[in-house]
Amino acid sequence: MDTLTPLQWASLALFGPLVVALVLGVVWPLRKAGGPAAGLSLLGATVNLAAASVLFVGWLGGADTVRATLPWLIHGGPEGASMIELGLHLDGISVSMLWVVAIVAFCVQVFSLGYLSDEPKAGFGRYFTWQSLFLFSMNSLVLAPNLLQLFMGWELVGLCSYLLIGFWFKKPSAARAALKAFWVTKFADMGLLLGLIVLFVHTGGFEWTATTAAAGTVTLLFFLAVMGKSAQFPLHIWLPDAMEGPTPVSALLHAATMVAAGVFLVVRAQPLFAQAPLTGEVMTWVGAFTALFAASVAVVQTDIKKVLAYSTCSQLGYMIAALGSGAVLGGYFHLTTHAFFKALLFLAAGGLIHAVHSNELSHMGGLLKRLPVTGWTFIIGALALAGFPGFSGFFSKDLILEGLFDAGAYGPLAMLLIGAFLTAFYMGRVVFMALLGPPSEHAEHAHEAGGAMTLPLVLLATLALGLGFFAGPMARLYGLTYHFHLGAVGITATALGLAGIGTAWIMFGPKQGLQGLAAAFAPLGRVARSGAVDKGFALAYRQALLGLGAGVAWVDRYIVDGLINVMGYASLAFGDRLRAVQTGNVRDYVYAVVAGLLLLGAFGAIVQG
Amino acid sequence: MNTLVNFQPLMLDLMVLFVGLLVLVMDVLMPPGRKRGLGQLTAVALAGIFALSFVVDVSGVAFSGAYEGGAWALFFKRLFLGAGALVALGGTDHVDRRYPGRQGEFWLLLLFTLVGMMLLPGARTLVLFVVAFELMGMPLTMLAAWPKTEDPTGPGRRAPEAALKMYLVSAASTAITAMGLSLLFGAAGGLRLDVIAAAPQTPLLWLGLFTTLGGLSYKIGAVPFHQWVPDTYEGAPTPVVGYLSVAPKAAGLAAISLILVETFGAASARWLPVVLFITVITLVVGNALAVPQRDAKRLLAYSGIAQMGYLLIAVAANNESGQAVMLFYLAGYVVTNLGAFLVIEAVCADAPDADLSRFHGLYKRAPGLAFALLIFLLSLAGIPFVVGFWAKLYVFMAAYEAGLVWLVALGAGLSILALFYYLRIAKVVYMRAPAEDTPIAVGGGMRLAIALCLAGVVGFGAWPGPIVDAARAAAAAFGG
Repeated sequence: MDTLTPLQWASLALFGPLVVALVLGVVWPLRKAGGPAAGLSLLGATVNLAAASVLFVGWLGGADTVRATLPWLIHGGPEGASMIELGLHLDGISVSMLWVVAIVAFCVQVFSLGYLSDEPKAGFGRYFTWQSLFLFSMNSLVLAPNLLQLFMGWELVGLCSYLLIGFWFKKPSAARAALKAFWVTKFADMGLLLGLIVLFVHTGGFEWTATTAAAGTVTLLFFLAVMGKSAQFPLHIWLPDAMEGPTPVSALLHAATMVAAGVFLVVRAQPLFAQAPLTGEVMTWVGAFTALFAASVAVVQTDIKKVLAYSTCSQLGYMIAALGSGAVLGGYFHLTTHAFFKALLFLAAGGLIHAVHSNELSHMGGLLKRLPVTGWTFIIGALALAGFPGFSGFFSKDLILEGLFDAGAYGPLAMLLIGAFLTAFYMGRVVFMALLGPPSEHAEHAHEAGGAMTLPLVLLATLALGLGFFAGPMARLYGLTYHFHLGAVGITATALGLAGIGTAWIMFGPKQGLQGLAAAFAPLGRVARSGAVDKGFALAYRQALLGLGAGVAWVDRYIVDGLINVMGYASLAFGDRLRAVQTGNVRDYVYAVVAGLLLLGAFGAIVQG
Repeated sequence: MNTLVNFQPLMLDLMVLFVGLLVLVMDVLMPPGRKRGLGQLTAVALAGIFALSFVVDVSGVAFSGAYEGGAWALFFKRLFLGAGALVALGGTDHVDRRYPGRQGEFWLLLLFTLVGMMLLPGARTLVLFVVAFELMGMPLTMLAAWPKTEDPTGPGRRAPEAALKMYLVSAASTAITAMGLSLLFGAAGGLRLDVIAAAPQTPLLWLGLFTTLGGLSYKIGAVPFHQWVPDTYEGAPTPVVGYLSVAPKAAGLAAISLILVETFGAASARWLPVVLFITVITLVVGNALAVPQRDAKRLLAYSGIAQMGYLLIAVAANNESGQAVMLFYLAGYVVTNLGAFLVIEAVCADAPDADLSRFHGLYKRAPGLAFALLIFLLSLAGIPFVVGFWAKLYVFMAAYEAGLVWLVALGAGLSILALFYYLRIAKVVYMRAPAEDTPIAVGGGMRLAIALCLAGVVGFGAWPGPIVDAARAAAAAFGG
């Protein structure tokens, strides 16, 4: 800190991974060597983590906003010339996110060393190239000084997500899932692009601090992109499929960082969102509904990663609901705590999957004895997610619920409270099924993996356990204050959480006495498993859009060409002359030109009136 | 100064003409079998003229106002010169291998089309319009017909058909354009654009305008004058198609801008609905028909039609910033689309078609080509960090500013559809196993041409400022 300025540290954090990605991208022998590529990537992640930690400590001590920009484009907006800048923006919000991303990325890369050690060397190198590219993209999103640069990072992380989901592209389901994710989020991203256009035309810039009468339109368009990126109903459909990617990727992109980019955008553009009460209302309801919906779907999943995926949708819903009702601290703090405990859960789940070579909960069971470190860290993550008192998730979830209560959003609050019960229930179910209970035959030869896979778990578990007690300093980072108090809402939520764990214990605990209760949830399970929502979307995307193509092709072939053919018969003499020169249908093309001309003339005449 | 004999604004055009004559002479002097140098000469000479365009002053008026130089025309000339130089660089191998005895004529014709295009943006009279268009169009048709088919299954087997279709449709539309221009002449009583602009607004004048517009729409392949485009692109030699897909399109847009914005800009209420109508159907049909294509060249043909729709949005904005957007879009489009076609040529050089199956596993056979193609496709789709993103962003901004919110929504929606077909190519390139494992050999000239296109796409994408400034300055000179 003495030797380098904050800007230099930030540049190091941003460009370190970029240099690594470029070197690995260009020097292909290095990439194909596998191990050295991973080492280089890890070096980039370490530099990134060091720089981010220095900055984070600096900002905890109360540093001012630092901004460094280069003029990028000069534009004539409505109020004359304006500047679009390229650069870095360091404040409490961006620095804390930078730190979160750095820690999770570091842990995930270390974990991947062990998890993917069976990959062929070339694939191993490719994986780490993309990991580095992702880290750069995410950092450029987080450190962006304006919304245009943020958008570019936003698109880049989307591209990295596509590449990493499809990492095992020889598996058709992985290739399909990658495309689906790209499509759905890309559709949503159009909202961000259009929002930016509206913002620019009205304010002459891409600043999130702008004041404009169009804030309602802009933020609603932004929210469309947020729904795509942060997997809010009904655009959540890509996230469960994205679990086709390697589990560490799910931990990094689809749990902790990339999917949180939508939430980050809302926090970043809070000055704009604050001008749009209607958008806030929409966000609260959509977020709360997603939280409840996804939690109830998570209850019936049999694939451990799918449980966690729906849980991520659900938790992102909590954040969105909080931000919509003005509980900025709750939303952003939950982003931070969730990043750690969900990354922990995914990595630990990866450890379990690695041990039994299956994602199915029924193939696990009794793993706590065989994998004590992985098992216990998983339990810590699960307790944090369930909002067990003292764990980090307890504090952040409490802030969200109190925020909704203060805002008077009782309907969404009720949904979130039910969601809290379900969250505790499905996590309890996973823990009881996978870690406790009778071991399945798959689990008999399971054993703990090496240090590369357990050390990251311990680090993340420490944060999942302890971060809640640092809510005060974190709040100061965002320029807010925090006082702990447990109100009626908090007590209710805690009680519901405990009840959820208890219910799970009754149903899936060692005794499994009340199987009948499980049957009560079966109808809900059938709806979710039948994938009615997914199918609806598949229909809309595949049938409607491909149908449009086919439909227009049909019109082109039968109606347009048909009309031309009619004209052709009507003027055989002319046609004969042309036919003498050329067979085939070039005659039709000429008629098309004439027909088009007549159409233009007629249209012109009608318009002229 | 006597503008009648002022050749200063035509300096660059005359240089290109001179290079053409030089190629003709060199062709005679060079021994058979060593004519490869002609293509290289063309590439170097065009690159040299491109460099000189930053030095030579080509502003001013010639032929008593029939021709007008200036920043706007110069921007177009640079686009043409750049496209010509890149095609010559990347196409030399193709021409040398396929038509070893007919290289001189090939490059001569290419240079003549270039002269025609370069004359066009400066033309301020209808006669020069027709002359420039024909100088551009006739040799292009001959270039499309260049392969002689001995082998019914070999490459180039469909070129004669492609060229004939292009020729016949072109003849019809030239007739229509000429008729439209003669109607304009009859209604206004003069051939100069400023005379036509000041003419009394009679139904005859509007009839002339719409007839001309129909003829020009053929040149840029706008719907419903698009049907020659896929057939010609599929059959003609790929380097010619690459050239055809960018340079004449830019020339056509220059002509449309001159007629609609420069001449009839004040009466935009009359033509705007018609242009919007063409724009919408061009966007919809181009994008929708690109989806089911199985051949890369046909797919890019429909995608090119769709791209023309986006460019027409900029024209429809009918103002200076619309023109700036159009110029910027074109600059990006030239390097992007040309680059994509050069990659197709590199991959399918000896194949009878450009079926998508030929791109399976390109990633394994030629990682560099695969990466370049991916970047070009992303740029066409308008993804950030490449030039196509800015082009789309600016077009949407211009349309939004002009109050065409529904058009922005339509364009944005269709660009998601576009992503689908562009990614389909990228998918087979990266995610399919190759049918054969042989690496693809790419010549040095082709390699350099693709690298230059890639540098343009990425460079303008990362730092669009200079091109944006140049486009704005050029647009400011337009109509001045």
